[in-house]
Amino acid sequence: MTLFLQAVADGLQMGLLYALVAVGLTIIWGLMEMINFAHGEFMMLGMFGAWGLSVSLGWDPLVSMVPLAVIMYGAGVLVYRLLMRRVQRGEIFTQIFATVGLFFFIQNGAVAVFTSDYRFVEKSWLTGLSGAHITLGDVRIGVPLLVGGLIALALFLILYLLIDRTDFGLALQATSEDRDAAMLVGIRPQRMYAVAWGLGTALVAIAGVILANFFAVYPQAGLSFTVLAYAIVALGGFGSILGTLMAALVVGVVQSVTAAYLPPAFKDAFVFGSYILIGLLRPQGLFGRF
Amino acid sequence: MAASSPPGRAGRAQQVAWVLAALVAILYPIPFEQSGYVYYETVGFLVLLNAMLGIGWNIIGGWAGQFDFGPNIFFATGAYTAALLSIHFGWNAWLALLGAVVVSVIICAAVTYPITRLRGHYFAIATVAMWMIAQPIGATWELINGSRGLFLPVATGGGFVHGMLTMEFAGRGKGLGFYYLALVLFALTVWGARAAERSKLGFYFRAVRDDQEGAEGIGIDSRLYKVIARCLMAAIFAAGGVLYCFWALAVFPDQVLEVNWNILPMMAAVVGGLGRLWGPVLGSIILIPISQLMTATLGAGPLAGRGIDLIIYGAVIMLIAGWRPNGLLSLPWERWAARLLGRAPAQPVKS
Repeated sequence: MTLFLQAVADGLQMGLLYALVAVGLTIIWGLMEMINFAHGEFMMLGMFGAWGLSVSLGWDPLVSMVPLAVIMYGAGVLVYRLLMRRVQRGEIFTQIFATVGLFFFIQNGAVAVFTSDYRFVEKSWLTGLSGAHITLGDVRIGVPLLVGGLIALALFLILYLLIDRTDFGLALQATSEDRDAAMLVGIRPQRMYAVAWGLGTALVAIAGVILANFFAVYPQAGLSFTVLAYAIVALGGFGSILGTLMAALVVGVVQSVTAAYLPPAFKDAFVFGSYILIGLLRPQGLFGRF
Repeated sequence: MAASSPPGRAGRAQQVAWVLAALVAILYPIPFEQSGYVYYETVGFLVLLNAMLGIGWNIIGGWAGQFDFGPNIFFATGAYTAALLSIHFGWNAWLALLGAVVVSVIICAAVTYPITRLRGHYFAIATVAMWMIAQPIGATWELINGSRGLFLPVATGGGFVHGMLTMEFAGRGKGLGFYYLALVLFALTVWGARAAERSKLGFYFRAVRDDQEGAEGIGIDSRLYKVIARCLMAAIFAAGGVLYCFWALAVFPDQVLEVNWNILPMMAAVVGGLGRLWGPVLGSIILIPISQLMTATLGAGPLAGRGIDLIIYGAVIMLIAGWRPNGLLSLPWERWAARLLGRAPAQPVKS
């Protein structure tokens, strides 16, 4: 029982970080209905950014998070303006291919620049806390992961308020509901899409920066997170920000509970298996409204 | 299409072109065999193998319009089944190929039927998820020896004909032999795909792709035809996997589940022209030599193993998706050829 509770506690903390990875995709895919198979690659770039700034300038990832988010916002807008705008209104397969191409380009670009070696962010405030933990009954909760999860949660809430409670967020939602009607009331759809790409990219890069504290940094780190993020967004119901959070927590728990009882190689297999199952049994997602 | 010459003449010109292409394909390795540059026979082998896989991927991706990003699980299934049948039961390679195709098609039908309820990118992600699930299975399953892999016995003798019948070639004849084995399987694939394209099946696939509801309205079971399309692809990938396992004489999970067996056939189809029978062939003829050339020239340099070929592939995919999504075969070649020959097309073609 302790093993189980411990696994659930670990899973919830990981789930918060997954939520941050997935929420960028919720905006791009769930809300704006565009595909991005390179989602995890932006996260990987964020991880490398955190590693690079930590090694070269000695910046803590929690500090470098801010400039990296700004840079990646620009990168996302650029990707939209140069590539995605061209394929947006064509057949769906062009979007799939454009972003699969982007995925190969970014991942192998990182291999060419950094090689496939594993790298670690060694000196940071969070890794410095690695021994600290809180004990609840028999369950130990590590402080670093908890802090990472809480940062993720805070960002998540800000985003939720931004999308759900501000004029800007309403404009974004209006564009996704009906592009032409949005244009009639003076919203510029192209700009909204560009902002959505920028936001989604910046958020996943921030997730990468936080994850760099806990995971090895290497060029292939992205793909499994991309698939995970798709699974989470699909589970959560499209465009639902809070649904994404719930689904991410579920995925985190499923993963850590299976990892506790089965060989670690299978932890992703079960998550993807449950994606397929949910897709079949409840296509609108666990928390979808329609 | 504007044909500037009468149909009879154009038909004859086309026939001549086909005969020439077939001759080139058959005679291609001869000069290399004579001069000893057998490496180019291997390049030819890989071109044919990937062209064949590309035609297979085109069936599900191009005709049926369902994007499969994990076809290599059937490549792996084929390679493993054939290796097991050959090692444990001593089956002849062609018999093992048949067995591998049957097993892969059965597995494909079983795993594909449930996910045909998913559409568009949901389907695509489900195929990626299957590939991700296959990886730990391949690396840990004891029956197939986990990540230690399976090894096939090395052939000790026998001539060309014996080799063609057993897929075993001793010594230097291997490059030549496998080129022709690949040519045989490639020709079979083209023949089968052409027959499927012109039969009812081909029309059903495209009907499901273009308008699933409409197709269902006239009584086409869309899920059944998606499964059939993916099973045809699985059969071709399994055959390719069998060929690969007898060529490499070993099956390792990370080799047969490698991403290149997903990306190259797909790229070949997209670069050449999605949904066109000869698209993947053209794409493969262009792409594989580029990738081999890069491996060869970067082989010893500081950039070896840095995935430069994949960077270029990525850029090419983005360019094609953004600027010419229907592939190279969709360019107005006939008009250009006519202009080059100094003849105006009979009527202007709007592109």
